[in-house]
Amino acid sequence: MRVPPKITQAVAVTILGGATFLTVAILVFIIGFVLSKGLPGVNAEFLLSAPKDLGRTGGIFVTIVGSVLLPLIAVAIALPLGVGTAVYLSEYTRETQFTRALRFGTDCLAGIPSIIFGLFGFIFFVMMLKMGWCLLSGGLTLAIMVLPTIIRTSEEAIRAVPNAYREVSFSLGATRWETVLKVVLPNALPGIVTGVMLAIGRSIGETAAVIFTAGSSLRMPSSMFDSVRTMSVHFYILATEGISDEKAYATAAVLILAVLLVNLAAYGMMHRFISRRAR
Amino acid sequence: MISHSPIKISIQDFHVFHEKIEALRGITLDVRANRILSVIGPSGAGKTTFLRALNRLNDLVPELHVEGRVLLDGQDIYHPDFDVVSLRKRVGMLFALPVALPMSIYENVVYGPRLSGVRDRARLSEIVERSLKAAFIWDEVKDRLQMSGLRLSGGQQQRLCLARVLAMEEMEVILLDEPCSGLDPISTAKIEEALTILKARYTIILVTNNTKQAARVADETAFFLTGEMVEYGHTEQIFTVPRDKRTNDYVTGRFG
Repeated sequence: MRVPPKITQAVAVTILGGATFLTVAILVFIIGFVLSKGLPGVNAEFLLSAPKDLGRTGGIFVTIVGSVLLPLIAVAIALPLGVGTAVYLSEYTRETQFTRALRFGTDCLAGIPSIIFGLFGFIFFVMMLKMGWCLLSGGLTLAIMVLPTIIRTSEEAIRAVPNAYREVSFSLGATRWETVLKVVLPNALPGIVTGVMLAIGRSIGETAAVIFTAGSSLRMPSSMFDSVRTMSVHFYILATEGISDEKAYATAAVLILAVLLVNLAAYGMMHRFISRRAR
Repeated sequence: MISHSPIKISIQDFHVFHEKIEALRGITLDVRANRILSVIGPSGAGKTTFLRALNRLNDLVPELHVEGRVLLDGQDIYHPDFDVVSLRKRVGMLFALPVALPMSIYENVVYGPRLSGVRDRARLSEIVERSLKAAFIWDEVKDRLQMSGLRLSGGQQQRLCLARVLAMEEMEVILLDEPCSGLDPISTAKIEEALTILKARYTIILVTNNTKQAARVADETAFFLTGEMVEYGHTEQIFTVPRDKRTNDYVTGRFG
């Protein structure tokens, strides 16, 4: 039996539209739920004062510092490594068995649960290298964790740069390196920035890998070798140890807003960059 | 003897292989300085491969390899000691599709000079003005040099690309790969006019699908067919009394 096209069309629109609506609804519900339970507890004092009594009272300033520093360290390490790898893979090598294996390897790395990175970071950085729970251990671990994301997004962005640009650059006597620097990377930048933002988002939200490597100290770090607690770890501890639901939600609300802000800033930056070049 | 000007590029039994396929089958040809040589022939004749071999842009295609010699001022450009970067600064190229780099008109023009180490602003400005004038586009863009090159029309972009090549002070040979294939008649006329003036200073090789264009601007013409050079001679001779029947068929429009 043939279903009339008009009906299949209507069914398709309903299903697809429904799926879209459901997705958005779930997202809005989660964000709304967290914000409605958390925002009442958020004020300047909560943001800017130190936690007291394990976080039962006081603020979360230390954890905000942790959540800013840790992703920054991670990206500062992963960005040159990742973009360098991406440039090497796409500009300096031919497609061989080796590059395919390398790419497969990074893809596998991307699929590993974060707790495994945490465990590795704990055994390698914290114990073997005797760095202890600290910003640097956590930053290095997170850097390894986000490296695949940065490599793959950068590589895709680099490959999307029209080959004609490279040919023009070479034909004007540029070396490969000059071409990468003056033509390839500037045009791949929006994509690379997207990768960095994804990496920051993943780092800010990460809990398991951070507890194992950066620890959960509530004291303000004074060097790279001090332990630190991030907002996500703080939230996790507050919630699982039943310390304070109210503070946990307030922390979560700040975390969500922070991620939102990072993304907005990224879009703004990218937009300005693109419009400046196309002026 | 076709011309008495000195030999600029001497191509000697030159072959290009694309994996197993022979794209150029032993081309032997002398290109005279300060002349316009046009290379005509149907698509698939190897014209573009030939052109891209002359500034070694084919190096970017790993599947290609070459045999034979190409001498620029007597030096073999495929010799392992020959510096390919300096070659490309002397032998410039204009592509079939005009490609303005996604940067300002000014930056497009100074791309080459900057690579050669020119930093002085006054000198760069002077280069920009001289090049854009020589490419017949100065009047159209002089008030908006900071505008993105991408916002120019196709014909303007192609002249910008020409200016970009002319901006390089080391430039001696200009290769043009069907530079007018996508352009309107007015832009085409401007490019052709520029070429006839530029040959006083440069050696020009023009690959074209447009036999009329070859007849208009070229001093010498070479006819390529399936990777071979069928005939080479004065443009007038090629178009009026071709020696080879295949040349005759092509230039009279019987195929191609």
